[in-house]
Amino acid sequence: MISRVHFAACLVIFACSTAAQAQKQQVIGAPPEASNMKLVGTNDLQARSAYQPTIQHQGDRWIAYIGHHGGTDDVPSPVNPMTGQAEPNGTSIVDVTDPSHPKYLRHLPGQEGKYESGGAQMVRVCDGKSLPKGDPNAVYMLRTFGSEAHEIWNVADPASPVLVTRIGGLKDTHKSWWECDTGIAYLVSGAPDWRTRRMTQVYDLGDPAHPQKIRDFGLPGQEPGSTGAVPTELHGPISTGPNGNRVYFGYGTNKGGILQIVDREKLLTGPKEPTPDNLRYPEISRLPMSAFNGAHTTFPMLDMPVAEFAEDKDGKTRDIVMIVDEAILNECSEARQMVWFADVTTETRPMMISSYTVPEASGQFCQRGGRFGSHSSNESMAPVYYKKMAFIAFFNAGVRALDIRDPYHPKEVGYFIPSITSATDKRCIPIEGGARCKVAIQTNNVETDDRGYIYIVDRANTGLHILELTGPARAVAGLPKN
Amino acid sequence: MRRGATIALAAIALGASGVGAYQLAPAPVEQTAHWREIAWPFPRDGWPMGRAFRCDGACTGAELYVRAKRSFCNCDRGVADDDEVDRVADVDLISPRFSAMALGEEVSIGDMRGRARRYDLDMPDGARHAAIGVAVSRRCDLFVAAVRGRGDASAVQRAALAFLETQEMKIWVTAALDGR
Repeated sequence: MISRVHFAACLVIFACSTAAQAQKQQVIGAPPEASNMKLVGTNDLQARSAYQPTIQHQGDRWIAYIGHHGGTDDVPSPVNPMTGQAEPNGTSIVDVTDPSHPKYLRHLPGQEGKYESGGAQMVRVCDGKSLPKGDPNAVYMLRTFGSEAHEIWNVADPASPVLVTRIGGLKDTHKSWWECDTGIAYLVSGAPDWRTRRMTQVYDLGDPAHPQKIRDFGLPGQEPGSTGAVPTELHGPISTGPNGNRVYFGYGTNKGGILQIVDREKLLTGPKEPTPDNLRYPEISRLPMSAFNGAHTTFPMLDMPVAEFAEDKDGKTRDIVMIVDEAILNECSEARQMVWFADVTTETRPMMISSYTVPEASGQFCQRGGRFGSHSSNESMAPVYYKKMAFIAFFNAGVRALDIRDPYHPKEVGYFIPSITSATDKRCIPIEGGARCKVAIQTNNVETDDRGYIYIVDRANTGLHILELTGPARAVAGLPKN
Repeated sequence: MRRGATIALAAIALGASGVGAYQLAPAPVEQTAHWREIAWPFPRDGWPMGRAFRCDGACTGAELYVRAKRSFCNCDRGVADDDEVDRVADVDLISPRFSAMALGEEVSIGDMRGRARRYDLDMPDGARHAAIGVAVSRRCDLFVAAVRGRGDASAVQRAALAFLETQEMKIWVTAALDGR
């Protein structure tokens, strides 16, 4: 009798665990998971692994430029159905004027190579009218070309880009920043003689046809000829331009992160020879992070009024930098990568004040497959969301909408996890004697436009999803009810 | 490297056994190297702890530190240059003040290829030590080793690489790179 009871109990436990396992996995045809966010439109981006999206208002059109990683082992160069040719992943150009019907305009091939070794992952866009010496009829797209170059294209006709210039001879590239009003660009490059894969090359791209090199920059110990330990490599900077006079550099990706606060004027006009003293000269301070976490995105939100401090005689407003780590390993095989908020009001004493992560148990994300953890945030400073809401790409947990009006207490107010499709690529982990693979959404990046649409792109080839806020999340941003 | 592989094969043939006390085949100096596991001596950092060994015999006093660094490598190029060895090989754990003594050289451990480079270490107590950094890759993952010692650097490097070629270490390296 007892053994029968035990047998029955085991069956129940087995059935429950099987059901739970099934619940963890995404399946084709299932609806997206969402809260206070809704799908407006999609594009498959030719099933290319997507990285950085940038949305540009060009005349009366809205154009999305989306960088891609290299191809995969299975499909190194996907076929472009518009040309019938196999093309190495590069840049997708999509007309999103009507976000419910995005129209794919052009695929601009990138460097041959797979995963991080190819493609054209990053993209920034400046209007020729805003650049000091730009052609007012031009729109300039700055993109990486795999690991070997930065390129500027004239995309005034986004379906027919024209190459303007190329800065090559590099051993790596990554997430650059371009000030559209001054033309100053902080290009994340691997200069061949530097000891790190990624550092900063500062250029004046105010006249995109004639790039002017200003200087190389990095952490002391990375420069040519130095010895000893090599500091964590750069991931990307964000500048507040001449008005804010600060550049926030994020070093590290998923480990040993550093937020470096730099005086922009000193960076641009200070001594340029890459000696340790000259590299230290423009630095105001650093915030070293835990060895467990990196600084993928360092997004400044200066002079934020904090309601809780409104009655205080000092410190009513705070300068905040949101730091986003990047998860690297599949199925939670590393320390959690998440979002951090640093109060940098007293610039020489920056301090971490809060953090945010998606609760793992809310979706059993460690079991779903692929990466779980943060990767990046929107980087648009358009008023619609700036200092009010942040959107975080969280890989298999989709995109998460945060109310950041009180950065000491960030709060999730919405999320959207797209459905997988037949194009969604598998993600594998090694197991004894082979590999175990699962298919899951891998929301890699997110960007917003001035209209309030939210664009998310997928690293696992599921394409572009254009979203809008619904319900109470719209009120956080001050958007009218829909 | 062929010599290293020969030593490793000989070591296996001679029955190197157990993680705690490896014995290598006779080195050219006609001495035997024993690697004895010791506690990982470094504070916690962003990477999982590795394993540490101290050599008795042919490379007496040398210490070897090994660990896997997953998803830390260019998946196509592997360990491309000496700068990468400087960055990743954990020599900075021993002392952040080190300088390369020469260009590195290509090495392999099992099927993994990469580079090794010799360094002069400036220790906190003012002592000077020699060290060797090794970094090899398996797709996007790295396996790194740092060795320090006072003896002949070539002999220490040979002994360390031979040790890493032993079957027991290969099994552990594979498991570490798999995240197991």
